[in-house]
Amino acid sequence: MYPFGDLPGNLTAFCAALRREHGFGIGPGEIADATRVLRVIDLADQQHVRHAWRAILSNSRDTAARFDAAFDAFFFPGPAGTPQAQQPPLSGGKEQPGTAGDTSGRRPPDGDPSADVDPEIELEGARSAPAVLAEDSGTDGEPAGRWARSNYSPLAVEGQEPILLRPVPTPWRNAARLLLRRLQLGLSRRWEPARRGRRFDLRRTWRASLQTGGEAVTARWLRRAHRSPNLVLLIDGSRSMSAAQQAGLDLATAVATVTRRVEVFAFSTSLTVLTHHVRRAGTGRRMRIAISRESWGGGTSIGASLRSFLRRHGERHVGPETLIVIVSDGLDVGEPQILRDAMRELYRRAAGVVWINPLLDTPGYEPTSRGMAAARPFITTFISVHDSAGLARLARLVRVRR
Amino acid sequence: MISAADIRTRFRERGFVVDDAYATGLEIMLALQKPLLLEGPAGVGKTESAKVLAEALQARLIRLQCYEGLDSMSALYEWNYPRQMLHARLSESSGSSLEQREAEIFSDAYLLKRPLLEALTQDQAPVLLIDEVDRADEAFEAYLLEVLAEWQVTIPELGTIRARHRPHVVLTSNRTRELSDALRRRCLYLWLPYPSLAQEIEILRARVPGVSEQLADRIAHLMQVLRGLPLQKAPGVAESLDWAMALMSLHREHLDARTLEQTLGCILKVHEDRAVVDEHRAALEPYLSDAPAALEAGGYGLATDFGIGTATPRP
Repeated sequence: MYPFGDLPGNLTAFCAALRREHGFGIGPGEIADATRVLRVIDLADQQHVRHAWRAILSNSRDTAARFDAAFDAFFFPGPAGTPQAQQPPLSGGKEQPGTAGDTSGRRPPDGDPSADVDPEIELEGARSAPAVLAEDSGTDGEPAGRWARSNYSPLAVEGQEPILLRPVPTPWRNAARLLLRRLQLGLSRRWEPARRGRRFDLRRTWRASLQTGGEAVTARWLRRAHRSPNLVLLIDGSRSMSAAQQAGLDLATAVATVTRRVEVFAFSTSLTVLTHHVRRAGTGRRMRIAISRESWGGGTSIGASLRSFLRRHGERHVGPETLIVIVSDGLDVGEPQILRDAMRELYRRAAGVVWINPLLDTPGYEPTSRGMAAARPFITTFISVHDSAGLARLARLVRVRR
Repeated sequence: MISAADIRTRFRERGFVVDDAYATGLEIMLALQKPLLLEGPAGVGKTESAKVLAEALQARLIRLQCYEGLDSMSALYEWNYPRQMLHARLSESSGSSLEQREAEIFSDAYLLKRPLLEALTQDQAPVLLIDEVDRADEAFEAYLLEVLAEWQVTIPELGTIRARHRPHVVLTSNRTRELSDALRRRCLYLWLPYPSLAQEIEILRARVPGVSEQLADRIAHLMQVLRGLPLQKAPGVAESLDWAMALMSLHREHLDARTLEQTLGCILKVHEDRAVVDEHRAALEPYLSDAPAALEAGGYGLATDFGIGTATPRP
């Protein structure tokens, strides 16, 4: 079962498996540390080794939660509880250990391009983004340790929907820049050097005076730095939105081109992180990626998705400098109470909530559906955006709370 | 070489209960001399554990509290400029050469050492606690990375100062902001969750010595239930300790509904959470005892008689 007979060799293979299959970021430094620690801890105590390696090899809450399952899957692929000494002896050649049912589709076969692949379309290779985590079942506290591998493939696989991310033309980018400029969040508490400022900078003045023999001739000043806004985009990918989805994706790509402080999520019945792909699309690559049907092309469950966003990413991304942008038509099949609670939480914690509803353009539309009515009191800017002119209009109309 | 079991005993002596994973993390932090990043919800004892570690190792605790707007100068060192300028003025006419005067001005006496530099210049390895590092901004994190890697600091006027003994570094984070990957890779990582039922009972009995077994059991059960509710701010270990001490000081051996109502402020810190707890009152019922029999019938329900017999407050 193990490729190598000695523990350091197995450790290296284990780290390679973690990196390849579970998305851990492990470099030679971590492997060296894990080897060094073997001299210190009690090798016979499996729990001790597990705790020690978890502290070294994982570096976030998600990876720490996934580590145990990965450890068991590598070192004890037999029935649970079988001690290591009783495992069958190594079989000679280097077989790659992996989770059971490790099937194809993980990466495109090398040197074997499909005939009908459009050369313009970039194929997403394996493991270039964090795995798509399935929605946890509503229990508070630890996130579900379950992990669903995301299969990226040029061919549509069962349960996957392809979406197109493409670089956006200049009007979009200009409108996005305008939006960021208009998001004035005020001043932060950090002082930075400036030519004209309110506060006298004793340190730099003194330093500068050394050039003039100890006499302070020029005064240096400090002023408060500006707070930079963060943006979070939540794009509804459900079937009802199909016409306006591309505009939402273009908006996301435009914003990702002009700033790094943006996070993009897609949701339908569950949430997917799209930030990495959108950033790559913004740098000029046209890509078609496949994401699970739970996040694109399924039904709509806005409340549950927002709640899941708040629970898993809310602490990190939603702060008083964040503008939340939700692109959705508000046709929700879930409980309006959940949506209302999630929206209230977003409104309370973020600088503003923008809701982009493509239905606003249709004459005679009133936001009276259950979902829209529940969310309406907590929306600071309600608008519809179809093209770059719409985004420029949003830039003019957006309001944030300082 | 301090083993995990040794750490557990030393912590236990000081009333701090740690589990296996935590003790192992501390053990390898001491062995590998890498910083330790503790993440977890607020109130589980991250800062406290660093203090207890300093006591257990009999080392000095140096604390750097991070806040938004913290820059490298406030964390590392600062020259005492007013004093330097005063000295320069006063020694203008003393007749010493320029080099001498400069050496006087830029000497140790005028250097204000802030926590990071202080940690570098100790005779014995201290414990450096960098508290709430997620509150500082990314620029400071990048600077911290450099210091943690090299353990040396260059002060232009004094030269390079290298650490004689590497400090034991503990970083804590409340996850209000995502820390950069580079900082995470440099540190060992420990996620500290809320304690389990058995652990919480152990913590209560260790930290609040007078608490009875039954009361500790009830408090622990109630806290487990409360943490399962959709509260905005879930109570941590600090809150359960506060609650235990409050109940002890009120001499309430039995935890009934009324006592819960009166002491809810020890546990819930957000107004909206009270409504949530009221909604889910049924889930808490099994762990509340009945009200004590000697309750005043017509009035405020005083459970004491002030030593003078039954006292009824004047209406």
